Amino acid sequence: MEGIYWPSVFFLLFGGIACAFAVAVLFSKNIVRMAFYLVISLAATAGLFFLAGADFVGAMQLMIYVGGTLVLLVFGVMLTSQERFVEMKSDAGDWVIGIFAGGALLVVLIWAAFSIPAWQGMDAAEANAVAVKKTVTPIAMGLLGFRVDAPDRSGYFFPFEIVSVHLLVVLVGAAYLARAKRKTTSANLATGD
Amino acid sequence: MEPASTLPTLLMWAWLLPLISFVAILFFGKHMGPHGKGAAYLATVAIVGAGLLSFTALFGVWLPNHPLADAAHASDPLHGNHGIPDDSHNGSHSDAPTSAGKHAHRAYHGATDGGALRNTQRDAQLALNIQPVALLAEHGSLAEHGSLNDSQAHANNKTPPYYNGDFYTLAAFGPLKLSIGYYIDSLTVAMFCMVALIASCVHFYAIGYMHDELHEFTDSEVTLADGQPLKRPGRYHRFFQYLSLFCFSMFGIVIAGNMAMVFVFWELVGICSYFLIGFYIERKTASTAANKAFIVNRVGDFGMLIGMMALWSSLGTFSFGDTKDADGKFTERGIFSLLRTAENDYHLKPAGDMAFEGHRIMPTDSDGEVQSGDSDNRAGQWLLLVAGVGIFCGCVGKSAQFPLHVWLPDAMEGPTPVSALVHSATMVAAGVYLAGRFFPVFSPEVLLVIAYTGCITLVIAATIAITATDIKRVLAYSTVSQLGYMMLALGLGGWVAGMFHLFTHAFFKSLLFMCSGSVIHGVHTNDMTEMGGLRKKMPVTAYTMLVGCLAIIGAGIPLSTIGFSGYYSKDAIIEQAFSFADLNPVHWPLKWAPVAGALITAFYMFRLWYMTFAGKPRNQHRYDHAHESPRVMTLPLVVLAVFALGIGWTVPGTSLKVTNLLEQSRPVGTLATTHGELLPSLVLPDEHRSHEWEFRKPAGIAAFATAALGLLLATVVYLWRFLNPDELKQRFRSIHAVFWNKWWFDEIYGALIVAPGLLLAKWITKFDLGIIDSIIHGTAATCKGGAKVVDAVLDRTLVDGSANGMARGTWDLGLWLRKIQTGSLRQYVMLLVISTVLLFAAASYLQQIIPGQ
Amino acid sequence: MPYFPLANILTEPVGAAHYVVVGAILFTCGVLCMATKRNALGILMGIELVLNGANLNFIAFGSRYLRNDANTLGLDGQLVALFVIVLAAAEAAVALAIVLNFYNNHDSIDVDRADQLHG
Repeated sequence: MEGIYWPSVFFLLFGGIACAFAVAVLFSKNIVRMAFYLVISLAATAGLFFLAGADFVGAMQLMIYVGGTLVLLVFGVMLTSQERFVEMKSDAGDWVIGIFAGGALLVVLIWAAFSIPAWQGMDAAEANAVAVKKTVTPIAMGLLGFRVDAPDRSGYFFPFEIVSVHLLVVLVGAAYLARAKRKTTSANLATGD
Repeated sequence: MEPASTLPTLLMWAWLLPLISFVAILFFGKHMGPHGKGAAYLATVAIVGAGLLSFTALFGVWLPNHPLADAAHASDPLHGNHGIPDDSHNGSHSDAPTSAGKHAHRAYHGATDGGALRNTQRDAQLALNIQPVALLAEHGSLAEHGSLNDSQAHANNKTPPYYNGDFYTLAAFGPLKLSIGYYIDSLTVAMFCMVALIASCVHFYAIGYMHDELHEFTDSEVTLADGQPLKRPGRYHRFFQYLSLFCFSMFGIVIAGNMAMVFVFWELVGICSYFLIGFYIERKTASTAANKAFIVNRVGDFGMLIGMMALWSSLGTFSFGDTKDADGKFTERGIFSLLRTAENDYHLKPAGDMAFEGHRIMPTDSDGEVQSGDSDNRAGQWLLLVAGVGIFCGCVGKSAQFPLHVWLPDAMEGPTPVSALVHSATMVAAGVYLAGRFFPVFSPEVLLVIAYTGCITLVIAATIAITATDIKRVLAYSTVSQLGYMMLALGLGGWVAGMFHLFTHAFFKSLLFMCSGSVIHGVHTNDMTEMGGLRKKMPVTAYTMLVGCLAIIGAGIPLSTIGFSGYYSKDAIIEQAFSFADLNPVHWPLKWAPVAGALITAFYMFRLWYMTFAGKPRNQHRYDHAHESPRVMTLPLVVLAVFALGIGWTVPGTSLKVTNLLEQSRPVGTLATTHGELLPSLVLPDEHRSHEWEFRKPAGIAAFATAALGLLLATVVYLWRFLNPDELKQRFRSIHAVFWNKWWFDEIYGALIVAPGLLLAKWITKFDLGIIDSIIHGTAATCKGGAKVVDAVLDRTLVDGSANGMARGTWDLGLWLRKIQTGSLRQYVMLLVISTVLLFAAASYLQQIIPGQ
Repeated sequence: MPYFPLANILTEPVGAAHYVVVGAILFTCGVLCMATKRNALGILMGIELVLNGANLNFIAFGSRYLRNDANTLGLDGQLVALFVIVLAAAEAAVALAIVLNFYNNHDSIDVDRADQLHG
């Protein structure tokens, strides 16, 4: 086991989990299982974030995505889970086209990823020499407009404000859209072809 | 009372009162009292007020500041003794001026006290608030001339005292200034008084005469299509509205301080006469007469415009009088002082730049150089001739001189008060007044033209009057004839004689017309052959008219100073004619025409009176219904009769008489014997020469003899009936035909001008219809056809085709593209993926094939 | 340079390229999910996967452990990733609301039936 660089091993572990469960999401036909696989994939992605030194983002990934968004999705699944929707099959033709197109995309992306030498990674000595820095406070300061990590770069106070307002609007809109409506109109609208 | 400020103010209000009345009646006439009767009172009050102001100006301001002298004696010492006892011989040489106001008068008579004059002028100017300039004389040169006057034989007369200035400047374009200005001398004031007095009488008279118009008016001379006479609402207030405007316009001409203003009011008078002559507009004859008066006047006005342009383009000013600043320096010279400068001893000389204008228009003289003051300035003389004859053309039109006299008799279609006003104080007087006003501008050659025009007019009109049977037409031709007298007098150099006759004639002619109106009012016809014996029915009218007749024939004790007003003025004209013919024997017709005219005048006037008032009634029915007119009509007759009798008299114990008043405004430089420049043989005599016994005696005798002969003839034929007029008519039927048909002037004009004009119009109409219309229609048809072709070929195929093709292409493209739009979310995602991959592939491929990468 | 990316992956530190590969796989899976699932919730899950793949790229490019030159970026990558996470949450809420609305109206969550916008 000499020479094994453990962060790489963990990368392989988390990356493999993320990819495997993403593929499982793709190929699963049961919507409830898909939700479960997705949770695992996103959690593994959070592990990759930790490995890359983004501890705060990884935590957020776990909290918001896994803890928030997925709960939302599961609620949706539960609200709409009737027998006829749990398993919905697509045409085989769609699958064929999808596999070919997706495969081509994947090939293009992987080829692009490895065609840049600077992205190949550094030596282990270099990687070990990188000082560990905490990210929570700098990120908070960055959101408030003060960059302590890279003083020559601009702060994110304004995008932060916009995102805040955006979130508010989104919540209001979501509440509006999701509120219950009478079914009487559905018959008329469903006839649309 | 400072004349320089009070005179313009007084006369301005006298001038504006009729305008105020006009505007008030224009807007509120229909609501003034019952049937618009208040309009008559308003107009009458306005004109009486104007008269009061005018007389205040004359007696309250002018006369105290400019005491009258017997100017004929005062300003020309050599002719001081006439050998005729003259009660007005207490000349002003002994008038020792004591008050400051008399300084002006002294200066006018050549006093050397220039300092006093300056003071007077300064005082005058200080008191002014309407930019007036008091110009009494050029006192600088006056002092020299004044001392020379006693030693030199023929010193020319100076600029008369006058006041001029601008009420309001309308616009100034470089040297061209258009302003409402005034030029006030004794003639202006006298004209104001005369016009206001006669117009007042006419207004009073019209209140009675026009009463038919108060209610619905039945015009028996107009027959409608259904055979019924026309019935229309009365136009009482409108009549007085026009009268007010008429008086305002006439005052405007009289007070005008420049040519442009004269022209404006000249045309206003023209349009007023148009309105009033055409007052019974429904009558075909009335509307035709109104048109005729207007159009004939336009002919004359065209000449007047030419004259004004000639004067303005060469002198650069419209103004009559000089403008001075507060220090007494000239700021701008007027027409008169430009043409008659003190350096030239007030003789008429074309101004320096006028010679230049002459060069511009005329071929240059042999020496090529014409200098200012050059006695041989022939080009300038020609220009003066053009200007003078042009201005006179306007007077010919307005004053109905030959050959434009044809409108005046037709103007009888208007109501009689209008005829009285038009024929005495306003319209025709305007022409003579203008000729008198422009007198300093007229060269001897122009005056000769004027004299011959007047001479021809007076004879022709008098002969026509002999045969006319319409009472108003007789008077109309008599007016034309008398106007001819005035023009003749002006043309012979008798300025005072001509203007004096204008005044006397105004009074007796308005009297005569109003008497005839009274007769017409009483017997309801114009035709003298249906009258007769009316003396008993309407005595006031008859005897006032007799006064008028005696005045017009110039009745008086020969070689004395006792007579009717016409006696003074007509004798003065005949004296001037004798004086003129003595120097110019070749122009003998000018001597004998007025004498012959006097005979004919006496004949036709008394023919009229006898036929109307004397003898037996020719139409018993009309005689029985005749009645004397109401007092509102007869009272003006009496007033006018008094004036017609005494306007020529001297107020006992003073030198107050019209001729002396007029003498005060004798135009500058017209009191010297002058020779024509273009016609060297022409000699224009000094007017005072005519007062010499040498001419006065034969002239007086000739005038009296002819008038008496005419009166006798009329009496023999029409009163005593020794001779039957019908037999005379038969015997001289060729001459009678000439006179009866008015020398065929209307027919000649009809054949020479109207008929060719109509023919030309017809031809032009045919040209229009035949050629121009066909060209236009052809063009239109061609355009239409071309448009159809273009429509079919270009629009339908090319433009429409391309537009429709594009639309169809877009439509088809849309139909095709809509197949892509499946609405399926999954297909869209797949397309996204595939296109991303293709984009990558294309980018990398391009990266490889582009060189240099 | 003949280079096999996984030859010494256990002994050497991984680079940004490896992260990008994982991100690409997640992205592709998400896209194919969107393209093949008829269930609207499945499509939502595909979207989440796509966003995660993208986020992974942001983190990788901004990480000082994976790139030599990443120091200049500071925490920009993480900040953007944070925004993406937040916006993804918002997007999920709205999308779920739309799906529920669609379900209420059509009694179905089959996206093939939601083709009223076809041309």
